[in-house]
Amino acid sequence: MVWRLLRRNISVWQTAGYALANFVGLSIVLCALKFYCDVRSGEQGEDPYVTRDYIVISKKVSGIGGLLGADNGFSPDEISEIAGQPWSRRVGEFTSADFNVSASLDMGGRGMSTSLFLESVPDEFFEITPSGWSFDPESDNAVPIIISKDYLTLYNYGYAASAGVPQISEGVVGMVPIRLSVSGNGKQKWLKARVVGFSSRLNTIAVPDRFMDWANSQFGEGKPMNPGRLIIETVSPGNPKIEDFLKSHGYEAAGDKGASGKAAYFLSVSTAVVAGIGAVICLLAFGILMLSVWLLLQKNRDKLHSLMLLGYTPASVSRYYFIIVGAVNFVVLVGAVLVMLSVSVLWRAPLDALGMSGASPLAAIGTGVAVMVAVTAINFVAITSKVKGSFAG
Amino acid sequence: MKGIGTIALREVLPSVFAGMEQETTVAQSQVWLRNLELTRGCRVLVSAESGTGKSSLVSFLYGRRSDYMGAIHFDGRDVRSFSVGEWCSLRTFSLALLPQELSLFPELTAMENVVIKNRLTSHRSASWIAGAFEALGIADKAHVAAGRMSVGQQQRVAIIRALCQPFDFLLFDEPVSHLDSRNNSVVAELVEREATACGAGVIVTSVGNHLDMDYNQIIKL
Repeated sequence: MVWRLLRRNISVWQTAGYALANFVGLSIVLCALKFYCDVRSGEQGEDPYVTRDYIVISKKVSGIGGLLGADNGFSPDEISEIAGQPWSRRVGEFTSADFNVSASLDMGGRGMSTSLFLESVPDEFFEITPSGWSFDPESDNAVPIIISKDYLTLYNYGYAASAGVPQISEGVVGMVPIRLSVSGNGKQKWLKARVVGFSSRLNTIAVPDRFMDWANSQFGEGKPMNPGRLIIETVSPGNPKIEDFLKSHGYEAAGDKGASGKAAYFLSVSTAVVAGIGAVICLLAFGILMLSVWLLLQKNRDKLHSLMLLGYTPASVSRYYFIIVGAVNFVVLVGAVLVMLSVSVLWRAPLDALGMSGASPLAAIGTGVAVMVAVTAINFVAITSKVKGSFAG
Repeated sequence: MKGIGTIALREVLPSVFAGMEQETTVAQSQVWLRNLELTRGCRVLVSAESGTGKSSLVSFLYGRRSDYMGAIHFDGRDVRSFSVGEWCSLRTFSLALLPQELSLFPELTAMENVVIKNRLTSHRSASWIAGAFEALGIADKAHVAAGRMSVGQQQRVAIIRALCQPFDFLLFDEPVSHLDSRNNSVVAELVEREATACGAGVIVTSVGNHLDMDYNQIIKL
């Protein structure tokens, strides 16, 4: 009966307007959030396309220094300075070989031999972990090698095309037996080797850390070497501060890795903008709700006052408004979550194509719930104080 | 909160009368700026002329307004110290009010206007309410929207509503201003019976047409 009394002045249009506006705003916020989470989830994927970026840096080789054989490596101090930068998450060192390497291979009767260089970086900096990526000096297994994808591309489109030899695929390269001649420190040894993978991140010929340690101890001459190149995993790819830092220290970043970094930077900025717009809409909708609740209570002021005179407590009267606001907010939340879930299907396919597996929607749903709980709580507080205000007359 | 045994007025004066202490309205009043005690079981008629603060007095006693100087004590406690919750409880179980403006909900029927109070207190049975409607001659109007009833009929609905709760004091602000003498005595009889049943005090205000009861105290406001 109290319900019937108080319901009379509720404006369906105001309520619907609020619900619609808040629904749109919340949907945008949740979608932006879900999209961001999905893209961020690429971090756990094999090929972090945009979110996590790696840069490989080296010192600029100056003419004289190079000729004089000056150490162009990074000293431990410099490395820890880089590691201490806010934008750097991890720093990995390229360990180069302190011995001579030459490789010979046999391809369909054509023998090829070349002198070679090898480097190693900590395993976690590879975007791939190929099977057989290990080395045991005791066993007779082939030394696994990862080479840059660029090398294969160079061969296929640079050399093979002009020399009239057939192009080869990654699979074929993996099957070619390679023989490595490792020498130095008065020793020499032949080892079997095999290309097990291709990296688009690392522009080098890489072997496992364990092999490098073993080979350096066996064939190296023991002269201490600072790493000439560093690989840095950055926290905020595309951050202009990275460029400034490198410039001011005279470091060079290899390749144009900035491009994907900028994409990531752009993505996080644009996601923030979209989420911001959604938040503004939500805020406006919240304003509408507060205004219509306020108007409703104002219109019902006399009734509220009469109910108070009968002995109804502010809480028992507020309860009816709580139910309305709570129900509307709940419907809005459920609607927005459904929209978020169905819209996220739309970008599923393109993201899958980029190798991103998609994130759980729980973070977005949790945010939605938190926002609506906060909104509802503020509504309740406003209603309670307004109803109490009517009590005094 | 326990029921109310005594209502004490300690030199109460409506704020609007401040500075008018020497004028007849205040100087000749037996309420304003006096010490007055009303005990449970009393039958008090507060007889007043228009503009002497009659409805203000009722509002002060019912906790609707506090724009007065001096103090009002319920069993020694200053009513200004009561919380909203305490007032709600008093209004449900100790203090019954018939406001002069009646405060019925015009969109609800006469019966609903009564039931909305009785649901809060669960004090009266449906048959008691029906009997009261019958006795006051408005049984046929029970399901008519209050807004479409005459003032006299509305007054009777509001009286029934005021009785739908346990009470220590009944505050009736001009209860029979729109009633004929026959209805006046029916109301008086009903009120007397119910007040006696619970040993309550009755405080009635009037500007002329008194509720026809045996008062043991008549106070000029």
